[in-house]
Amino acid sequence: MSEEKAEKISGKSALGLVIFGPILGMLYVCLLPLIALMTLLLVLPELASAKKTDILENSSICMGCHSSPDFTKTFKNKEKMSVFVNEKDFKSTVHRFLSCTDCHQSISLDNHPGSADAYDGKNAFAVAAAAACKNCHPEAQLKAKPNHGFIANKTNAPPCTVCHGAHTVKRISEWKPTLSSNNQYCLTCHSQKISKQQKNGEMLSLSIDPSVLAASVHNKHACSDCHVEYTKTSHPVKQFDSNRKHSISVSEACKKCHAEKHKAVSESIHAKMISEGNLKAPVCTDCHGFHTVGPKATYETMSGVPCRKCHEDIFKIYSKSVHGMAKAKGTHNAPLCSSCHFAHEVKVTSMSEKIKGACLGCHKDAEAKHTKWLPNASLHLSAISCAACHSPGSGKGIYLRLYDQDTGKSFTEEQMLKILGTTYEGLSNKIDPHGDGIESDELWSLVSKMNEKGTNAKVTFIGRMDVSTGSEAHQLSFKKNAVKECENCHSQESEFFKNVTVAIVKADGRLTRHKAKSEVLGSMFSLLSLKQFYVLGSTRLKGLDWLGILMVFGGMSVPLAHITLRVLTSPIREAKRLNKMRKEDKR
Amino acid sequence: MKKIYLHPLPIRIWHWINAISFIILIVTGLQIRYRELMGLMKFKEAVDIHNFLGFVLIFNFFIWLVYYIFTGKIKIYIPPLNLKKFIMGSLKQARYYGYGILMGEPNPHHSSPDNKFNPMQQMAYLAIMMLLIPLQLGSGLLLWDAKMFADWINLVGGIKIVDTVHVFLFLFFTSFIFVHVYLATLGHTATAHIKAMFTGYEELEEEHSH
Repeated sequence: MSEEKAEKISGKSALGLVIFGPILGMLYVCLLPLIALMTLLLVLPELASAKKTDILENSSICMGCHSSPDFTKTFKNKEKMSVFVNEKDFKSTVHRFLSCTDCHQSISLDNHPGSADAYDGKNAFAVAAAAACKNCHPEAQLKAKPNHGFIANKTNAPPCTVCHGAHTVKRISEWKPTLSSNNQYCLTCHSQKISKQQKNGEMLSLSIDPSVLAASVHNKHACSDCHVEYTKTSHPVKQFDSNRKHSISVSEACKKCHAEKHKAVSESIHAKMISEGNLKAPVCTDCHGFHTVGPKATYETMSGVPCRKCHEDIFKIYSKSVHGMAKAKGTHNAPLCSSCHFAHEVKVTSMSEKIKGACLGCHKDAEAKHTKWLPNASLHLSAISCAACHSPGSGKGIYLRLYDQDTGKSFTEEQMLKILGTTYEGLSNKIDPHGDGIESDELWSLVSKMNEKGTNAKVTFIGRMDVSTGSEAHQLSFKKNAVKECENCHSQESEFFKNVTVAIVKADGRLTRHKAKSEVLGSMFSLLSLKQFYVLGSTRLKGLDWLGILMVFGGMSVPLAHITLRVLTSPIREAKRLNKMRKEDKR
Repeated sequence: MKKIYLHPLPIRIWHWINAISFIILIVTGLQIRYRELMGLMKFKEAVDIHNFLGFVLIFNFFIWLVYYIFTGKIKIYIPPLNLKKFIMGSLKQARYYGYGILMGEPNPHHSSPDNKFNPMQQMAYLAIMMLLIPLQLGSGLLLWDAKMFADWINLVGGIKIVDTVHVFLFLFFTSFIFVHVYLATLGHTATAHIKAMFTGYEELEEEHSH
């Protein structure tokens, strides 16, 4: 039975072998490459890294020293540099496959820069070390990106390591996600000492001090909010004619957010000057800076007011004035430049009503206070600039300006040029043909030419009394120093009336001044050309003075002549009287 | 000695207010205009006095106007409507001043309350009282507040025109005063007319009855 069983069993196992043997064999043959492949796949990277790790491990001689965190080197200029290489960090870099000598090619055990004299300093060392980068990253590759192109061409370009690090070099793809949310990406380069050259050869610094940017009111903005054309994928190469042109161009960016201010500026005299080609006139960045834009209060201090940059001479005068002294003392509401001239819509203020409005804006009771002692206060205030009396020591003069009699508005130079059919250069010749100061008949002929039939103009000159220069309008002093004596003006001896100027106003408020002779005020011609301007005592007609002498002399000579005749004829009357008496006696 | 009541009290008061005001206005006017030649007072004082007396004269003018219109005596200023009579009368009067007075002839005009002025006086005073004085007061008023009266001033042509009119009339009145005062001494005695202006009564030269 047991044999039978054994036979049966052996028979069964033989059957199993026959059936499963080939199946297993097939499976084995088929799976073997698969397993081998999988094993290879699993092992290969390990092999690869093992191989690379080997390289660093091959640098174990180097790391024997350079793994010490306190290991430093002192250069010729006494600069100290840590020569510690953090192995752990290095293993996470894109360069983890490289061995020390792949980059530090000139360094070997035989030739190790042990001496401190090998390099001048840290930077010299970095520049030399970074030269190795070009072994793998050739110039062509670098220059393909404009931001690199700029840097790579510079003689004093920062070495690659400044941006990319020495032993911490990461793939760019690894940079972007971590830096996209802030400005660090741009600042990587732009916090370095980089600059570019404009067409005229001027250098423009492209360096931005991150701490300054962080302190500005724009610290929440991304660079590309203003520099809209610049993104991580776009970095256009721009070259301007000059740095000035660059400033003017970039200031356009401000209008994106500050449209209202930009519009105000566009109507200002500064914008007008720029449009006329005077590039010295300021744009946004001249007052606010590029990356240093501060809060409003920054510009409203004696030291921070940006107007000084160009108008320092006037600012000096202002700072000695009653206003400047008050501001320096910290008087909160003491006016600074923009209080009268406005910060953005800066207009020409010379002798305009607008500037008086600025004075009266604070000195609201000025007219009432003047009325207390000054007859015709309102008339005085309309014909005399505040500064004329409140700027002691300033030069003074009469400014004759053309007005349209119907509208009461200034008659502009542009309108004059149209009527007279002349150019700006020609106008001067028409107003003052001899170039020796305008004479009374010349002034009259100008007015009559303007008012000729067919011109549709009705103009007249009105005189205003003002200080001689814009600077002098700023030397306003304390009330006690102001002019209070009527005789200061109401006398032909007054300084005002010796200095006469015909001021032609342009549409934008600027003045062209033409010197006039003081006789224009008192000439008989002035009855026609200056009939709207009269100052008691000071602009009296010379002709009328002479006529007066003649008339009074005439009035006195009538009685004198008659008395003389009476005296001469008294014998006749006496004879007649005697005759009469004799006749009566005879009766 | 015959006396006639020639100058009623209101007219005498009017005349002397006028006279004093004129003198002071002339002096202050000169001071305002010729600051650098005169130093009688400060400019502002001169202006204040000048302004005040200007208004006095305006008021005074209306006293005169109202008095003469309401009493009907305004006719003494109106020259005869008969042109021939007026011209003849004027020539006669001119002849007297130019010749008759020197020859001891009597004045052809005899003043009476109803016929106070000779034809030449009528002509002169009518022009003065109805044209020149109002012009002077008006131009003075415009100059007093040139801002308030700016529209009026522009209507006339400008402040310099107004001032020129004012100054020209000032010159006229100043020279007229010399003649006026002289003529006032040509009564039958040198002081006869002047006395009359105080008392109201004009003494007439007694005529001999034949």
